[in-house]
Amino acid sequence: MPDRPRRLTHDPKRLAAITAGVGVVLTAAASWSTARVDANSEHRLLVQQTKQAAAVLSTAILVLEEPLSTALSIQAAAGRAGDRAAFTRFMSTYVGTGKPFVSASLWTRQGDRVSQLATTGATPALTTTSPAGRSYALHAFEVKSPSVRQVTAGGQPRIAWALADPGSGLAVYAESALPADRHAPVARDSAYANLDYAIYLGPRATDAALSTTDVDPSSLPLRGDTARESIPLGDTTLILVATPNEHLGSTQSRWLPLGLLLGGLLLTAIAAIAARRLLRDRSDAEADAATITALFEQVETLYAQQRDLFERLQRALLPHGLPAIPALESASQYVAGAQGTEIGGDWYSLVALDEHRFGFVVGDVSGRGVDTVAVMAQARFTVRAYLLDGQSPATALEKCSHQFDISTDGHLTTVITGVGDVRTGEVTMANAGHLPPFLLDGEIRPVDVPPGRPLGTGPAHYDETTIAMPPGSTLFCFTDGLVERRGESIDVGLDRLAATLSRAGERSVAELVTHAVDTLRNPDAPDDIAALALRWEGPR
Amino acid sequence: MAEFVTTTGAAAPRLAVSGDLDISGVEEFLSHAGRLLDAGTTAIEIDLAGVTFIDSSGLGALVRLQKSATAGGQQLRLANVPRPVTRILDLTGLTELFEERPDS
Repeated sequence: MPDRPRRLTHDPKRLAAITAGVGVVLTAAASWSTARVDANSEHRLLVQQTKQAAAVLSTAILVLEEPLSTALSIQAAAGRAGDRAAFTRFMSTYVGTGKPFVSASLWTRQGDRVSQLATTGATPALTTTSPAGRSYALHAFEVKSPSVRQVTAGGQPRIAWALADPGSGLAVYAESALPADRHAPVARDSAYANLDYAIYLGPRATDAALSTTDVDPSSLPLRGDTARESIPLGDTTLILVATPNEHLGSTQSRWLPLGLLLGGLLLTAIAAIAARRLLRDRSDAEADAATITALFEQVETLYAQQRDLFERLQRALLPHGLPAIPALESASQYVAGAQGTEIGGDWYSLVALDEHRFGFVVGDVSGRGVDTVAVMAQARFTVRAYLLDGQSPATALEKCSHQFDISTDGHLTTVITGVGDVRTGEVTMANAGHLPPFLLDGEIRPVDVPPGRPLGTGPAHYDETTIAMPPGSTLFCFTDGLVERRGESIDVGLDRLAATLSRAGERSVAELVTHAVDTLRNPDAPDDIAALALRWEGPR
Repeated sequence: MAEFVTTTGAAAPRLAVSGDLDISGVEEFLSHAGRLLDAGTTAIEIDLAGVTFIDSSGLGALVRLQKSATAGGQQLRLANVPRPVTRILDLTGLTELFEERPDS
């Protein structure tokens, strides 16, 4: 026998103490590193949700700017004197209680003189007769984008917007009301209800620049783990700072460190007690090598169980490719193009929208390289954000079509997106120039989702197609890298995919995706491939 | 690789493309086509008869060209579009974008 066991057996209490000591250290280490993993994944989720919230906020800004620029175009077309009646009539849709603005004015500039042609709604905080109003108006004519400020009217904070057309010398000025205490709670059923936020107008997040927040303004700045996004707003920026007000990830990952700590301590106690009892029960323990060996084996088994528990739980914590959605078996794969080519712009997303509904997206940004990936990230977050915000697939694509322009970013983006319900198997899809998904329900055929124009071609309209997936059927979405080959018609590639899927037989969706990608990918082809398969198990 | 032949002198100058119109040939394509637009005629024609393959970057180039033509009040006509390319335009929802409008 080696020395160590013999020495330890002299004193049952000592062995128990060592066992307990080692156990406590292992447990503490496991629990600490699990807590770290949880904190990291929490931060990732926070950054992702903050980006999505910023995308929604950018859209809200566009919605506010739109009537101002339309009003200005109408006025500029009427000449240097504008058309006061038309201005009041047009802005009345947007000014008043429960509308975007509390007041709107039409200004004109001649040289250094600025005067007001018309006004509608509440008394504006800034008028062209005050020095502050005059210098602000002159500034608005200098900058090309809308000029945005925070102003107060009778102690009431407001956001002021001024949009000027130097050609006609006309400017449209409007004010939106902010809550008096700058406190604006998030609706409980919103996709962002688990974030506390503070929005600042201007380049710095100071108390004076605070626009709105859902927490008590006196408790700012937000503390703890925070994420920050800047959103361009006219000649300034909005800063969105967010912090989670509840655990963002699964409850499992939240309680895991504590569970591990308690479980580990329990196992340690059992090991220590077992060690003591085994020794005391045997008066001739010193001589009985077999007992010592058994004792150490037992202690080792307990430690091994503890380590295994720790490792398995940690693996469960690491971010998975796809979220688990009840009654939906899903699998996905991304394959980069041939070695030596730059990274491409294919992506897929699967999100749980509520208890029963899920949203999915498969898309492809044309081109390769870093700027392609940047457009891909923007498209990915924007479509997801609209789906999470409750928009239908066609509306989500339509809203996205306003945000991408090939003339400025150089890319076309094709997207297939859908929303499904696991209670009924109904899936509603809309298509921006993407290849049709395949439905596998005994037969294999492309689903006719009539394509609207790809994102980047300009504002577009999209139609929706709803299919009822039979229980056990699979929807297979993919990008063109899977089917496109030089020198042959795309239909040959689509037929080859159908044949490959039919040979995959009764496999799991994970095997189905792997089989299709392994069979059809061409190691020398430069194009990347994304594939997403969703199998509806049937009503529960 | 794609090859390009420009014919001017006719009412609508024409750019004939042959080979693979893909990411590797897009820049050259846009620079040839851009020169045709710069000539300022009311319409230009892109002859796709010899195109054997078009990828999403190639489609993107056609869309960019169409947008710059429209912005300059010019018309872009696609001529002799081979069947496989027509099929791709249909599948990507782009057919309507290249259809000639009777009023223009």
